[in-house]
Amino acid sequence: MNSHQQYIHLFNEARTLIEAGSAEPMNGCREAAFEALSALGLPSARAERYRYFDVQTAFKPDLGYNARRLRPAADPYKTYRCGVPNMATHLFFVVGDVVMPASTTPLPEGVKVMSLVEAATECPELLHNYYNKTAPSTTDGIVALNTMLAQDGLLVYVPDGVKLEQPIQVVFVSTATVPTLHVRRLLVVMGQDAEATLLRCEHTSGHTADLATLVSEVFLEKQSRLEVYAIEETAAEHTGFVHVTAQLQDEAHLHHTTISLAAGQMRTTIDVDLKGRGASVVTDAAVVGSEHQTTDHNVVVNHIAPECRSDMLYKYVLDGASVGAFAGKVFVGPEGMKTESEQTNANLCCSPYARAYAQPMLEIYADDVKCSHGSSTGKLDDTALFYMRQRGIPEDEARLLLQHAFVGEVLQRVTLDSLRERLSHLVEMRFRGAMKKCNDCALCK
Amino acid sequence: MLEIKNLHASVQGKEILKGVCLTIGDGEVHVLMGPNGSGKSTLSNVLVGNPKYEVTEGSITLNGKNLLELSPEDRAHEGVFMSFQAPTEIPGVSMTNFLRAAVNAKRKYQGLEPMAAAAFLKLLREKRQLVGLDAHFMSRGVNEGFSGGERKRNEIFQMAVLEPTFSILDETDSGLDVDALRIVAEGFNALRTEQTSAMVITHYQRMLDYLKPDHVHVLMNGRIVKSGDAALGYAIEEKGFDWIKQDSESNPS
Repeated sequence: MNSHQQYIHLFNEARTLIEAGSAEPMNGCREAAFEALSALGLPSARAERYRYFDVQTAFKPDLGYNARRLRPAADPYKTYRCGVPNMATHLFFVVGDVVMPASTTPLPEGVKVMSLVEAATECPELLHNYYNKTAPSTTDGIVALNTMLAQDGLLVYVPDGVKLEQPIQVVFVSTATVPTLHVRRLLVVMGQDAEATLLRCEHTSGHTADLATLVSEVFLEKQSRLEVYAIEETAAEHTGFVHVTAQLQDEAHLHHTTISLAAGQMRTTIDVDLKGRGASVVTDAAVVGSEHQTTDHNVVVNHIAPECRSDMLYKYVLDGASVGAFAGKVFVGPEGMKTESEQTNANLCCSPYARAYAQPMLEIYADDVKCSHGSSTGKLDDTALFYMRQRGIPEDEARLLLQHAFVGEVLQRVTLDSLRERLSHLVEMRFRGAMKKCNDCALCK
Repeated sequence: MLEIKNLHASVQGKEILKGVCLTIGDGEVHVLMGPNGSGKSTLSNVLVGNPKYEVTEGSITLNGKNLLELSPEDRAHEGVFMSFQAPTEIPGVSMTNFLRAAVNAKRKYQGLEPMAAAAFLKLLREKRQLVGLDAHFMSRGVNEGFSGGERKRNEIFQMAVLEPTFSILDETDSGLDVDALRIVAEGFNALRTEQTSAMVITHYQRMLDYLKPDHVHVLMNGRIVKSGDAALGYAIEEKGFDWIKQDSESNPS
């Protein structure tokens, strides 16, 4: 039996409850998603985009689902301490898949960060125009499942011309004590000329097997700029699916960086449409894998307008029996004249049991383009290691310095100084094995 | 004092060193010469514990300690330093972080606290001046984008920071122009004390002029076949190695 059946049953049984806890714009998408999931099922090992990730097994367990919208008892705003020094953020929490009431930090005029259910009353036109407009909810089984079951999510809206100075930080945390499915949505709308930085942190508080799906839709209107930093720091028992779709209009710029520090099985899919002339996107990831961790990044950038740029840098350091997969595809349609794109994937396998899969792809239908792609997989440089040991640096420390330097290339591209330093520190802690759980989150203690 | 006795070593199963005996006293500089492939670099690498080389027989002691029992890092902590023939690039690890790790590892080995940040930066500044290495190199990756000459200077700079008691200079002079060679040699001479000693591998007379070695040895086919004072070095510069080869074949030791 395909693993999706139990979710079909769940939906059939709880549909009234699900719809009651949600809002009209979301409820309006369920039927089509339900039909799609029933027809497609969840991706099997034969599905090209999921060949390195066992989706069926991930969805097989009997997981709890918060149909009744029960709120967690603890107030995360009181217990959480942000771990980025010198960096105040507008902080928001999603516990499980429940959007917690907003903190008191005032947002600049016109900026909206609120639950989708709230937004359905407050600014229904935003949801009507943007919700579920780019997510492949009828073609990808996991996104269909998410759309069918999602009851709420978070809206981030920055109106035309507003430049947010403080980053918005959204912390997704799982506090479940029984195996649970979290169905999360994020909708980010950047108005014309708007600018913002979004930190998306993902944590778990315990060691309960849980499964989180996040569908994140990002819209960038003309000349807007958005930087997204996704910091994944969960537990070996955690499985996560993140599916980001982004649509960029003329001269808009998106910089999306994922820092995968710890997780069980983590899959991130990013689909970017460069729709407007001169739009540009950077998608980066630094992955630190160990033990039996699997980290799979699958990125597609569609150049469907002229003079667009895309740049991918994916670097993995894999230890233990961890698995890293990268599939990146740059598609240039016939309209994509003067496209410039770069794609780099590099993997360091630090143990004989670590495995890296790489699939850099280019598909070009325009003749005036500049595209490059490359991938390399290797082990730690013995010569460098010995050079360091000759200078008295102990082997473990030398390995750590080399590994840190390897992913450091990704961190160098982080534009916010305080964040770059903090991320660099987190990566170092991770390599030192000092981070079995999040250090700075009181929820995790 | 360094004592090498009957040292045999091989790489990938092939024996390269076939019974090297050499004693280097405190304060002495010994020059090691020999044709290509005679085993000079193998000897250097064995002394610093490069895992690619296997010692099959013999002993190496430094001030009474058995070096062969120590890891490369502990040999470094005991005062062994090698200026590499081809210093490697370590992109992304800055010179400052690299040297901080090295200095503090040695201090830990000696039971000392890590060096305070200000004192460490002062140390780097002083030692940089010795070899004329510009400050901006400190924030670059180790040897990353350094020219051949800058790499060699960087080796002597690291030696100055780490203050070894026994140094190996493996063709540190090769690839240097006359000015760079002078800076490197003068830097090395400035670091010499009564307690420090060195083994210098070179092919050039100019290095002999600067270093004024106490002893010169010729390594051939994995053995030291001739030893003498600086005059031996000048004789080789003039006549090559063939006469020594014939000599050693007619009078096998």
